[in-house]
Amino acid sequence: MIAYVPDISIHQVTRLIETDPFFHLVSATREEEAIGIAVGAYAAGRNSAVFMQSSGFGNSVNALASLCIPCRAPIPLFINLRGGPGEFNIAQVAMGRTTRPILDLLGLVHFTLEDEYKMDKVVDGALKLCHANRQPVAICLTQLLHGGKIA
Amino acid sequence: MLRFEATKVILRHAADRPIVSNLGPTTDELWHSGHRDRNFYTYGSMGLCSSIALGMALSTSEQVISLDGDGSLLMNLGTIATIGREQPKNLIVVVWDNEEWGQTGHQPSHTARGTDLAQVARSCGIPRTATVRDLEALEEVFSTALRQEGPWLIVAKIQEAEYLPVAPIEPEITLYRFRNSFSRPVTSKPGGGS
Repeated sequence: MIAYVPDISIHQVTRLIETDPFFHLVSATREEEAIGIAVGAYAAGRNSAVFMQSSGFGNSVNALASLCIPCRAPIPLFINLRGGPGEFNIAQVAMGRTTRPILDLLGLVHFTLEDEYKMDKVVDGALKLCHANRQPVAICLTQLLHGGKIA
Repeated sequence: MLRFEATKVILRHAADRPIVSNLGPTTDELWHSGHRDRNFYTYGSMGLCSSIALGMALSTSEQVISLDGDGSLLMNLGTIATIGREQPKNLIVVVWDNEEWGQTGHQPSHTARGTDLAQVARSCGIPRTATVRDLEALEEVFSTALRQEGPWLIVAKIQEAEYLPVAPIEPEITLYRFRNSFSRPVTSKPGGGS
């Protein structure tokens, strides 16, 4: 199951997921809700992941800190990291720049993708690590990778 | 109606169905009413109880019960809209509504000042709702909810009582035990099932 809050940078991916019967795509109203839904799916025996933007990561810190981490719920987080080269919106910069430091403070492993080089290996390895460690792992997708939202 | 007594009513009818409990006294009282593998206790993440139950309901054919609270659900009203959007037939949300934030000093919550969570649910496309004020009514509507397709949202008006001792449970063990209680697809074995 993929629980997510829509984002233009992964719009093409979520469209593919939506038409693939292997996946169940659930649209949440807020990122922490998406994490709750994903943990519920995992608890019922399914694997799940969450897609969000870095602004939404700010909305979901307590869900990670007080649900995923104490329960050891291995939920991969795909985060569109705003605030990098090309960012045009001042309101996206602070949360985008602080997302990875907050992940570090939470003790959560994260990887950043800036181009397609070794992307499949990084994603595959991140998912394995996530389940081996039974903790969330974040895969940060940058504007350099997907070219989204660059003025 | 006291939440502890009402929790026992739910447990009596729930059989082996999964139950998710809201943090604090709801989790403690579920444990004291009867600890079981199918209890998913939450300890934090206020507001996410019914979101977790929604994720479960979308992942199993079994009926899933959420024991939420008014203050908690008010923190994440969006999840009522998501339940309405997804229409899980196997989800029953019970909201213990004491019309206050009990653990933070009994401040009146929005349901004490006019917010009607059952009406919110109906507005979000959850037609099966009820508001109950005593154990008999709760028992009747909950039994009906178990027989009729949902999603359901039942507001149960309760009074606060003395808190029971904190349940001696560990989040990590809760998730592990709960997940193991679901039969998962058999991972392929050469020769199949031998």
